[in-house]
Amino acid sequence: MDVGGTTAQLDAGILMANEDSADVIVVGTGIVGCLIAQQLLATGLSVVMLEAGPRVDRWRIVENYRNLPPTLRLHFDAPYPPKAWAPHMESYTDAAAAEYLQLEGPNARAYRQGYVRYAGGATWHWAGICWRLTPQDMRLKSLYGVARDWDFDYDTLEPYYTRAEYAIGVCGPSDPSLQWPPMRSKPYPMGPLPFGPGEQRFTDAAARLGLKNLPSAQARNSRISYDGRPPCCGNNNCIPVCPIAAKYDAATALPKIEAKGGRILANAVAYRVETDQKNAIAAVHYFDPDKRSHRITGRIFVLACNGIETPKLLLLSKDERNPNGVANSSDQVGRNMMDQPKLVAELTLAEPLWTGVGPVQGSSIMQTSQGDFRGRHGGALFRFNNMARSTFGGVAAIRKGLVGRALDEEIRRLSACTAEIAIEHELLPDPNNRLTLSDKKDWLGINKPNIYYDVGDYVRRGAQEYSVPLVRKLAAELGSTDVKVSTEFTNSDHIMGGTIMGANSAAAVVDLDCRAHDHPNLFLPGGGAMTTAGCGNSTLTMAALALKAADAIAGQAKRG
Amino acid sequence: MSPSDRDDAPPDFSLFRRKTLIGGGLLLGAFAAAPRIPAAPEEPATADFDNHFIQLSSLLIPHQLNRDVGLRLAAALRTKDPAFTAHVSALLDIARKKNAKIVEEFFPDVPVGPLKDTALLIISAWYLGVIVDEPGSDVFSYELALMYQPTIDVMTIPTYAISGPNEWTSEAPPLNSMPAF
Repeated sequence: MDVGGTTAQLDAGILMANEDSADVIVVGTGIVGCLIAQQLLATGLSVVMLEAGPRVDRWRIVENYRNLPPTLRLHFDAPYPPKAWAPHMESYTDAAAAEYLQLEGPNARAYRQGYVRYAGGATWHWAGICWRLTPQDMRLKSLYGVARDWDFDYDTLEPYYTRAEYAIGVCGPSDPSLQWPPMRSKPYPMGPLPFGPGEQRFTDAAARLGLKNLPSAQARNSRISYDGRPPCCGNNNCIPVCPIAAKYDAATALPKIEAKGGRILANAVAYRVETDQKNAIAAVHYFDPDKRSHRITGRIFVLACNGIETPKLLLLSKDERNPNGVANSSDQVGRNMMDQPKLVAELTLAEPLWTGVGPVQGSSIMQTSQGDFRGRHGGALFRFNNMARSTFGGVAAIRKGLVGRALDEEIRRLSACTAEIAIEHELLPDPNNRLTLSDKKDWLGINKPNIYYDVGDYVRRGAQEYSVPLVRKLAAELGSTDVKVSTEFTNSDHIMGGTIMGANSAAAVVDLDCRAHDHPNLFLPGGGAMTTAGCGNSTLTMAALALKAADAIAGQAKRG
Repeated sequence: MSPSDRDDAPPDFSLFRRKTLIGGGLLLGAFAAAPRIPAAPEEPATADFDNHFIQLSSLLIPHQLNRDVGLRLAAALRTKDPAFTAHVSALLDIARKKNAKIVEEFFPDVPVGPLKDTALLIISAWYLGVIVDEPGSDVFSYELALMYQPTIDVMTIPTYAISGPNEWTSEAPPLNSMPAF
């Protein structure tokens, strides 16, 4: 990394006065970092967490949101203005979006990932959806001859899924016919949330086509308080922030980590991972907002900065022993970047559907992610978006220049009689979908991430032959008078693959515990480790992998 | 955690709406029911203009309007456009000539051009809570923005709740059942 030729000077000068240490250094305060910190603190290990961005209170984010002009409220990153030293993508215009993430390739637009660099990470604005992978999702090579198999099976992951569900508080149905997949060692800690009118009508229409719209497993407290957080009251603002913390977000974990003795350093931008003579990790270097460099040492290091920032940090850290970047002897760091490319069907209906009752997302059709077609094309998830459409209806009706009764009636019609169905497609790991370091630098002089992205024919065929025809059937069954299906794939914000997992160190970055093959005391858990993506939201799998890694870290620390 | 570690004040975002609504309730109230403000001395011309703006707003929008929001909108709109005061008077004259009580009774008589644009801008500001719907614009009202009211019998105003834990249902009223507001 080029930081204006000052890195060495900074390292040699200021850092010694600020040198810090702990048993475990965790970089990143999202769900993965927080779950690992909590697990390790419980075993008696000392933990320090580094967070690039600021730490803020919930009320501030809620007020930021309410003080946004109406159209900007549709941009879920907007209540989280980035700090100069911790930039993230801002979506309010194309020009703004192009500032940080450098994107190229046929589907560059589809990798405009909306994570925020704040303490708590993307869980601030996640939907809270907690689908598991299916056994088939983990065996694409064996079953369908595409992509890779995971090097462990669903039964290995299942206990960690369950632990993750209990750790963050996931609600879901007890009826196995409504579970996805119906292979569970324990029931969900809470029952399902009810449907609002739109989701119920969507469910009924799907059923008439032989499809089952399942209540989502979701990290939202259902009917009861859980883990010190209140039950969901249907504030319909999970994205971009739950105003009452009924939804799990990692921000609620931070005080608990501190109560157990963990330390959290906000506004600490990790920019280099230092290796020692044995190629173990010796330290992490970070900048503070005054551009001063600090060095923190530990026995074990966890990079949980998300699927873009983690590979970026590894590539930034190349040294004599690791000329392609830390953990990158396989040349797989930054490759296989995945998401679930999304299309959206916009529906107009003669009769009202009604959104905005309950959480912003609460169900999906999942069976469409599975099938023998996966040898030829990917499957897809179909989701009725339950975000209140009153802002959309209000803005659209006002733009028509209506007044009086006609204005009110048009707002009501546009809000009630329009809807969106999101289609999220399965994408295969492809080494050409690659994150590299851009020549462009951020405010601190750190290279911005550059990502080449092509969703590939597997996704394109899936959309053309399968998902788009099916969404048109769903729209017709709902009574749509007009359907517009987007033609450009967009991001689902489920960043996966960049530090891919596998037993073979020549083809994977991390082993089956998310430990770097190249460095025995470096762990890279989270979405980056996911071998395949499936169609469902990735967070619960990330959380399960975090807990699996935490067990390995605790065992390794105990052995010394 | 020490207070110095906290960062709760991103400078890019003001609390304009909160600051301007101090003293205002969360519920919509008719002008007649709202407390008369301000307590501070006011230029006679300003008071006249405020009253004219409120009067015109009531003719343009057939709903209960929050006076606090109205006064802030009036001040901002007048600052934004030097001709705004004259437009308000002209629009009131048109309504008076028609002896109008509701917008439908005089809006067809408003000529296309600056006067009609002004009338629509006033309506838009009350409904959307902003004068300009662009990044960086000041927000004058959130939960009091009228765009939420035509669906308030069903749809949540995001961040607010209209039911308790798991108390919402899949039942919904018909489209033609417009709430009173």
